[in-house]
Amino acid sequence: MLTALKIFLFITAALLLQVTILPAYFADPFKPNLLIIAVTYLGLKTGRGGGFIAFGLGLLQDCFSGIYLGLNGFSFLSVYLILNMAADRLYTNSRNLMILVVFLATIVNGFLHLILLLVFPTATGIYMTILAALIPQALVNTMFSSLLFSFPRLNALEESR
Amino acid sequence: MLELFRKYRKYFIIISLLLAAFIFYSWNLKNKERANLLERGVLNLMSPVNSVIAGINRGVAGIWNDYLDLLEVRKENKLLRHNIKVLNERLINGNEALLANERLKKLLDMKNLLQIPSLAASVIGEDTSPWFKTIMIDRGEADGLREGMPVVAADGIIGLLVKVVAGSSRVLIITDHASGVAGIIQRSRARGVVKGKGDGTCSLEFSLASEDVKVGDTVITSGIGGIFPKGLKIGEVSMVKKGEYGIFQTVEVRPSVNLARIEDVLILLQQPRE
Repeated sequence: MLTALKIFLFITAALLLQVTILPAYFADPFKPNLLIIAVTYLGLKTGRGGGFIAFGLGLLQDCFSGIYLGLNGFSFLSVYLILNMAADRLYTNSRNLMILVVFLATIVNGFLHLILLLVFPTATGIYMTILAALIPQALVNTMFSSLLFSFPRLNALEESR
Repeated sequence: MLELFRKYRKYFIIISLLLAAFIFYSWNLKNKERANLLERGVLNLMSPVNSVIAGINRGVAGIWNDYLDLLEVRKENKLLRHNIKVLNERLINGNEALLANERLKKLLDMKNLLQIPSLAASVIGEDTSPWFKTIMIDRGEADGLREGMPVVAADGIIGLLVKVVAGSSRVLIITDHASGVAGIIQRSRARGVVKGKGDGTCSLEFSLASEDVKVGDTVITSGIGGIFPKGLKIGEVSMVKKGEYGIFQTVEVRPSVNLARIEDVLILLQQPRE
């Protein structure tokens, strides 16, 4: 119950940061996506039930980003499932690996957006914007994840699992 | 006589001394402004000592006074620091109010110019993704807003309302890839559709290569489509490229509104045509 409350608080704080505070300090294309960090964490650390949370996080992200409801829902769920399948083969207690996975997850998430937006041609020419913003966003996410995974409390939470 | 002197010697001496003192005093009266030899000697001898003692006295008094002052200084310092904070806060608030006043004045001018019912709103959030361009405003359905309503600023158009909920709405900015506004070059009346490019600029699409478009031309809304009223400023042509082949030319438009720094907007309360 306490863990759920912590996750809820983290997600709320991450959303508020992303929507209101961070845009004032991070100009385009260096906008962090804090929820993908949460999805990475869920994918590597939780069981199949985390898929619902990942999908829910995606829908939540869609409420504050773009006009396509379900885009992030799909991409977050896909990223979660890929990570969840790979989690058994990875040493997930390594902080460095987690940070690297956040970088990769951001890239994969961006490519999934690209594919979905090209399949349904609602926004022509968006691929240039996505490709240009993908690496900067991945780098900013990496920076944020390195800070987040440095918290001893988070590590303790991981160990208790 | 001598016997008498011996008998009252003591009184004689006293009287003699008093008399001598009196004579000395009266003799000195005529030179009272000047220091005599005795005074000179004493004063010259004592003045260095006096100076040292006076200095020590001043020092001790200074230390004592400083100590007493120090007791007050801490309190006073706290009070002054607090006062500085309050005054700084007032200064910042004053400047902020001045800037807000200027912005709102411009919006009001725009509102009066348009002669369409409108509603002012403040920006409360930005898009979380770098490849979508939307903002969130603090007005929604409860204020009479509906999807498709045009959103403008003092310098030109911003976008249109999407995803309207009770207390807030999202605005699709003209630089988003999904945005398209019918535009016209003010000078030559060349028509086209202003589409977002996602990088903070727009492009005027479907503009024929034969049309007269130059860098620096102002692009305004044409009114076609029924969303934006005719004549609102969209931006300025920043680049024109005409290929040898093809019927259209490439025209880049820089929005007239600084879309990265929007704080207050005006929503035009007109129902978009279905």
